[in-house]
Amino acid sequence: MIQEIDPDKIILCPDCDLLLEKVPVESGCRLVCPRCGCVLVSPKENSVEKTMALTVAGLLMYIPANFLPLLTFDAAGLKSTGSIWESWLSLADSGFVFTGVMVLLTSILIPLVKLLILLAVTIAIHLGRSTRATALLFRWYHHLDEWGMLEVYMIGILVTIIKMLHMAHVEYDTGFFCFIGLLSATLCSSAAMDVNLFWEEIGRQISERERLDSEYPCGQAPGLAGGREGEKAL
Amino acid sequence: MRTGCDEVALHASRALTGKEAGFMLCHDCHCVIPIPDGMRGDEHVEAVCPRCGALVHLRYPDSLTYTWALVITAMILSFPANILPIMKVDYLGSAEASTIMDGIIYFFKEGSYGIGAVILTASILVPLFKIVGIILILLSIHFRWKSWLRHKTIMFRFIEFIGRWSMLDIFVIALLTVLVDFGFFSTIQAAPAATYFCGVVISTMLAANMFDTRFIWEA
Repeated sequence: MIQEIDPDKIILCPDCDLLLEKVPVESGCRLVCPRCGCVLVSPKENSVEKTMALTVAGLLMYIPANFLPLLTFDAAGLKSTGSIWESWLSLADSGFVFTGVMVLLTSILIPLVKLLILLAVTIAIHLGRSTRATALLFRWYHHLDEWGMLEVYMIGILVTIIKMLHMAHVEYDTGFFCFIGLLSATLCSSAAMDVNLFWEEIGRQISERERLDSEYPCGQAPGLAGGREGEKAL
Repeated sequence: MRTGCDEVALHASRALTGKEAGFMLCHDCHCVIPIPDGMRGDEHVEAVCPRCGALVHLRYPDSLTYTWALVITAMILSFPANILPIMKVDYLGSAEASTIMDGIIYFFKEGSYGIGAVILTASILVPLFKIVGIILILLSIHFRWKSWLRHKTIMFRFIEFIGRWSMLDIFVIALLTVLVDFGFFSTIQAAPAATYFCGVVISTMLAANMFDTRFIWEA
């Protein structure tokens, strides 16, 4: 039908499929679909490095946030304390395995996997060594993104505190403050991420690498190069 | 240079969609892929994204069927989730089970209106709004209602955004079970509705995931 359109010079809106011309966007600005209002491009300054730094900060907080005691409730001298890790265990122990595993996934495992993936991807992009594995990891990040629910858990902690305020004295422990740190780092890392830039860099680095591989085939395992070619074909 | 450019709206000469122009979009990395010549007009065209390696479809396959199935699942699960008790409080040997609604009424009676409103929103209003909203959008596609297209898309984006917040009640119960353990004096345990409520959250989130908003525009 319309053959002369170059796929590299257009954007398709993911929400309404409108075809738009690709224009350069300055950092701090956003490109919005005129038909449905979907944010298409929102560049940020030093996105890769900022995301990497925030991911490292998040990972440092991760273990204390999940395993150190979160809060202590003191009711007339009786004390009760617990950590985030214990919250899924106690659910699973009392017979609610499904619910417990959901809590484990959404508040403990998926946030960790997201941080680790982001660290691996930002390091790969920063060093200019993205591979097909980087692309696969970053795809997983998108699919896992909405299943990590640290901010919901934070509101859950606040609701719990308010619920117990008149029944017990509440003591804030180290885990509580580390959790706030972990949450802030995670939220800031996804806010600092420029998804379009990440994908463009990954794509450019992969094609660059494959071009070099095909130009200088010696020193490369032929099986590996063949595998990549096979993947490339539609 | 940067003043006044917060939102750069593009002006297309006329609304041409990728499907009409022969392009499809990788939904993982937003790479634009030309549809091979022989496959034009085929709704079920498939390709592997050259950039990220994902399997790309012109539209999500069987999107509307999956969304219907998951929304109906969520509807069925919301009955036990709201009727059965979600939490069991043992206080000095006497056990008392409460449903989601009991918990909210308790907060309002205590005078903590703010926290009551938060729980009411997260555990009753959000799941209700998600189910009703998705059903409205699905019906509008089914009956080809061509009005309010932009608003329906924005509403769907909102439904996608609020989906995860219903897990709030589950997290509160998880925390209470571990933090309120004063031996015989007082303990808190989860009750059967927790599992069903978890099911409602998962199925509505999956329903929103499976839905392809581009069908709204092609109704």
